[in-house]
Amino acid sequence: MKKAGGKTALKRSKEEDEEQNQIFNFNRKPADEDKDDDLSDSEDSVYSGLEDSGSDSEEEEGSDDDEEEGSDDNDDKMKEKKEGEVSEEKKKHEYEHDSSDEEDIRNTVGNIPMEWYKDFPHIGYNLDGKKIYKPIRNKDELDDFLDKMENPEYWRTVHDKQTGSDVVLSDDQVELVNRLQRGQFGDVNFNECEPMVEFFSSDVMIHPVTNRPADKRSFIPSLTEKEKVSKLVHAIKMGWIKPRRVEDDGRGRYYNLWASEDSSILARHKMHLPAPKIPLPGHHESYNPPPEYLFTDEERALWEQQDPADRKLPFVPRKYSSLRQVPAFSQFIHERFERCLDLYLCPRQRKMRVNVNPEDLIPQLPKPKDLQPFPTTRSLVYRGHSGLVRSISVSPSGQWLASGSDDGSVRFWEVCSSRCMKTVQVGGAVKSVAWNPNPSVCLLAVALDSVVLILSPSLADKQVILSSERLLSAQQEGEEPAEGNGSVVWSEAEGEELNQGLRLKIQHPKAVHQVVWHAKGDYLASVMPDNTSHLQVYIHQLSRRRSQNPFSRNKGLVQCISFHPIRPYFFVATQRSIRIYNLVKQEMTKKLQTNSKWISSMAVHPGGDHVICGSYDCKLSWFDLDLSTKPYKMLRHHKKAVRGVAYHRLYPLFASASDDGSVIVCHGTVYNDLLQNPLIVPVKVLRGHVMTHDLGVLDVTFHPTQPWVFSSGADATICLFT
Amino acid sequence: MSQIQARFFTEDKRYVVDDVPFSIPAASEVQDLSNVINKLLEAKNGNKVDFDFLVRGQFLRTSLSTHMATEGISTVWILTGSYDKTARIWSTEGKPAMTVAGHTDVVKDVAWVKREGLTSLLLTASLDQTVLLWEWNSERNKVKARHCCRGHAGSVDTISVDPTGTKFCSGSWDKMLKIWSAVPTDEQDEIEEPADRPRKKQKTQQLGLTRTPLMTLSGHSEAVSSVLWCDSEEVCSASWDHTIRIWDVDTGGMKTTLTGSKVFNCISYSPLCRRLASGSTDRHIRLWDPRTKDGSLVLLSLTSHTGWVTAVKWAPSHAHQLVSGSLDNLVKLWDTRSCKAPLYDLAAHEDKVFCVDWTESGLMLSGGADNKLYTYRYSAQQAEA
Repeated sequence: MKKAGGKTALKRSKEEDEEQNQIFNFNRKPADEDKDDDLSDSEDSVYSGLEDSGSDSEEEEGSDDDEEEGSDDNDDKMKEKKEGEVSEEKKKHEYEHDSSDEEDIRNTVGNIPMEWYKDFPHIGYNLDGKKIYKPIRNKDELDDFLDKMENPEYWRTVHDKQTGSDVVLSDDQVELVNRLQRGQFGDVNFNECEPMVEFFSSDVMIHPVTNRPADKRSFIPSLTEKEKVSKLVHAIKMGWIKPRRVEDDGRGRYYNLWASEDSSILARHKMHLPAPKIPLPGHHESYNPPPEYLFTDEERALWEQQDPADRKLPFVPRKYSSLRQVPAFSQFIHERFERCLDLYLCPRQRKMRVNVNPEDLIPQLPKPKDLQPFPTTRSLVYRGHSGLVRSISVSPSGQWLASGSDDGSVRFWEVCSSRCMKTVQVGGAVKSVAWNPNPSVCLLAVALDSVVLILSPSLADKQVILSSERLLSAQQEGEEPAEGNGSVVWSEAEGEELNQGLRLKIQHPKAVHQVVWHAKGDYLASVMPDNTSHLQVYIHQLSRRRSQNPFSRNKGLVQCISFHPIRPYFFVATQRSIRIYNLVKQEMTKKLQTNSKWISSMAVHPGGDHVICGSYDCKLSWFDLDLSTKPYKMLRHHKKAVRGVAYHRLYPLFASASDDGSVIVCHGTVYNDLLQNPLIVPVKVLRGHVMTHDLGVLDVTFHPTQPWVFSSGADATICLFT
Repeated sequence: MSQIQARFFTEDKRYVVDDVPFSIPAASEVQDLSNVINKLLEAKNGNKVDFDFLVRGQFLRTSLSTHMATEGISTVWILTGSYDKTARIWSTEGKPAMTVAGHTDVVKDVAWVKREGLTSLLLTASLDQTVLLWEWNSERNKVKARHCCRGHAGSVDTISVDPTGTKFCSGSWDKMLKIWSAVPTDEQDEIEEPADRPRKKQKTQQLGLTRTPLMTLSGHSEAVSSVLWCDSEEVCSASWDHTIRIWDVDTGGMKTTLTGSKVFNCISYSPLCRRLASGSTDRHIRLWDPRTKDGSLVLLSLTSHTGWVTAVKWAPSHAHQLVSGSLDNLVKLWDTRSCKAPLYDLAAHEDKVFCVDWTESGLMLSGGADNKLYTYRYSAQQAEA
C-alpha cells in the first residue's frame, strides 16, 4: 500500500516536474526512467517479497469492492480527500493537514501517517476491529504502465491511501474537481450573483431590522470609557502626560524680517506720503470719443493759438475707427517728465493734528487718603455763646481756645473737653481776637468797637503769667509813653475789669476791625477800615506802649493785615490787592494782584513765601511770592463768600471758611526746591454749622500742634474737626 | 461721726427685718446693734432679745469701726474730681460722704492711695499744677491735706499710684512725668526758690507740706494725657504726641515707644491679659502689646463709638472685659473676644463721658459732662445717679 502511495506521489511529482525532467531527459533513453522506477520499486519489492503470500488477491478484490462502494457513497469525502492530497503534495509534512473530519469510516486507525503501517501486512482496522489487509501487490510499474496505456479510465482513477485501493471518479466528481480547480463554487446550483438585499440602508424603515432589544450598555455610560478617561486625567494631573501644546510662533518659526533694519528707514516709511494720483482719463483721451468731445475748427484754432501753458488740454482729441490705428503718443516722454517734475518739486507736508485726551489735561493729583492726616469729622462743639462768633484763636500751647462773639463776651475754652473755663464780658461786639503767639507770655488781644483790649487770661504756668504781667507793666515805671499822634490812647484797666483779666485798653479813633500779633509777641497791629483816611493801620509796641501809623498815604480800603512770620515784612490787603512792605527799609516791596473783587481774609504761610487770600467773590487765591505777583492758583470751591482762611503751622494744610456753611481743607505742600511748585489738593469739605442770617462759617483756625481745625459760625457755636 | 451702711440677715423667721441698708454709727458695738434690731422688731414682738452679730463669718466683739479695721473690711468709696475745683467721696449707693476742696483750679484727676481702715489716703491732681495728698478719716469724716506736690509747670492731667502704694506718678501738660512719694511724712521737702520771684506776698496760703518729685521723666513732645503703672517698676504714659511710652522707674529711662497715628486720650493696662487698651481722638479703642520691642503693633481695634474715646478701663477681675466712655455720650462694655460689637451700650449720660472705672466688686462707674456719676451693675444695667 505504502509503496503504491509513494509511487503515486512520485508520479505526481513527475508530472509536475515534467518539463524539467524533459529538459534533462529529452534525449535519454526510457531506460533511465525505468531505472528510477526500478530503484523505488526495488525498495518496495524487498518488503513485498517478504510478505508475499497467497491470500493477496482476495483481499485486494474485497477491498476494491469496498472502495468502490465507499466512493459512490461519499463523493464529498472523496473531493475533500483529493483536496487534502493536493495540499499534501504542496507541503511535505502530512501531519499538518491531518484533521479528524477527513477520517475514513472504514479504516479506524485515524488520521495518522500511513507509513507507520509500512512494515505490517494490514493497513488498519475496520469498524468491527478486524484488520484491513493491504491489497496484494499485483501491480508493478509495468502493470501501471499498461494500465495507463490501456485503461481509458486511468486518468480518473485515484489511489486511496488509507485503504490502499484505486477509486475511479464518476463524472460528477470529475466535474466537481474541475469546478474547484477553476475556483468556482462546488455547488452547481449556487448562484453567486444574486441581488444583494440591503438591510442597513439610509432609509428609515417602519420595522426594526432586528427585534432585539437595545443593549443596556447603549444607554448607560460606559465604565471602561470612564476608567480610561480617569486614567488619562490622573496621568495629566501627575504630569505623566503633557497636554498638547499650542505652537507659539514666537519661538523662531517666524522671525522679524525687519529687526535689523535701520530705524530711520522705518521712520521714513512711517512718514511716507503717497504721491497725488493723476486724474483718470476722460472721454477726451479716448481713441473714439463722442463727437462733442472732438474739437471743432474754432476750438482747434484757439488751441493752437494758445500758449502751451494756457491750454485746457495738452493734446487734441482725435477719433480713430479702431484701436489698431492709434499711433504712438508723441508726447509720452514729455508727459512722464512733467509728472516726475511735479512729484519732485511739489512740496508735500503731513498735516499734524494734535489729538489731546481731555482726561490728560487734568493734573495728576494724589489721592486725599494718601495725604493724611487732615481733619475729617466734627468731634467737639463748643456751645455757650449767644451771638455769632466772629473770631477765634488758639493758644500757642494748644490747650486753650479763645473766641469773641457779638454777644459782647470773650470766652476761653479748654480744647480737649469743650468746657468754657472763663467768660469775660467786654461790653461790645467782639470783632477780632488774637492770642499772643509767643509761648512765654499769655496774652490775648481783643478788638471791639474802637478799642483794642489786652487780656491776661491767667490760663498758663505762673512763670508765664508773671512774664506777661511784666511785659505789660514794663513801661509803667519809665517815662510817660510818647503819644505818636495823639489819636491812640493807652490806658490801664482797673477794678472789676482787672479781676476779669483785663490789663490794657488801646483806644483808637475809629472802629477797629482786626488785630494781629507779630510772631515775637511784642508788636500788634490793628486795622480801622476807612476809605477816606490814611489812618487805617496802627502798629503798637506793647513793651513801650507806643503806637505808630506806618502809612502816610491812603492806598485804598484796608481789609486785613498780617506780619511776616520770619522777616520784617508787613502784608496789607486792600480791596483788590495785597501790598507787602519792608518794615526796616520803609518801602513797598511787592504788590500782589488778586484778580478778585473784594478781599475778605488773608493768611501767610509759616515759611513766609506763600500767601493765601480769600475773597467775597467765592475765590481763594494762592500766591507764590517767589513766582509772580499773580495768583499761582485760584480755587473756586466755595459757593458763597469766603470769610476766613488759615494755614497750619506744622502740617501742610490750609483751610477756608465760607458763608455756605462749609470749611474746605486743602493739602498744600510747599517744597524747598524753588523750581517745584506747591502741590495743592483739596482733601475735605467739613460741614457742621447751621446757616444763620444767611451767614455760615465766620472764622477758621488750626490747632498749633495737631491736624485739627476750629471753625466758628454764625450759629453761635465753635466746632472742632479732627 | 461717720456712718456705716449695714444690712441685717437672719435664718430665724421671727427676727427678720427688712432687707434695706441702715445707716449705723461706726462706733456702735454689739449692744447698740442689738438695740437697733429690737427697735425695729418692736412692732412684731414686744420682748427684748439679745442678738449676736456675724460680720463676714466673724463674731462682732468690739465696735464696728475697730472690727472693720482689724478684719480689713473696707467700705467701697468712690472718689470723683470735678471741674468745680473739688473732689468728692461717694458711697456706692450714691450718697456724698465728703467734699474735698482745696485746689484753686479744676481737679483733673483723682486717685486712692490707701482705702483700708479708718484713715484713707487720696490724691487729687489739678489744673493749678499741683497734686494734693489728702488724709481722710472716715470715722470722723475729716479730710486733711497732708502734702502739696509742686513741680509741674502745667496742668496735672493724670495721676496713678503704684501697686505698692508708696509712690505715684503724675503726667502733666508740660510734657513731663514725675514720680512722687505717696507716703505722708511730717517733713517738708526743700524747695528751691525761683531767683527772680518778684513778690513774696504772692504766695497763697499753702495746703499741707510741700513735696518735690523723686524723679522726672521727660521725653514726650506733647502733653501727657494718661499714666499708669504696669508693675512696680514700669510706668506707661500716653501723650498727645501720638506715642505711648514705657519707662523704667528705677533708672528713669525710656524702654519702649508705641507709636500711633492719633492723639491718645487714655490708656489702661490689664495685668490679667497683659494688654494695653488706648482711646484716641478718633472712634477706635486699640489694644497693644506693651512687650513688643519694635513698637507700633495694634493687636485689635474696637470700633463702635462715634466720637473721641475719652476713657477706657479694663475690668479688674476679668481678662477680657473693658469699659469705655466716649464723647458720643455712651459708655460701652466690651468683651475683647467679640471685637465687632460691644456687649452693652450704657446710654445713661446726657453729655460727654469723661471717665470710667470699675470697683473691685464689679460695678462700673462713669462720669460725664452732665455733672453726674453713674454706676452700673453688670448683670442688670440699673443705673443710679
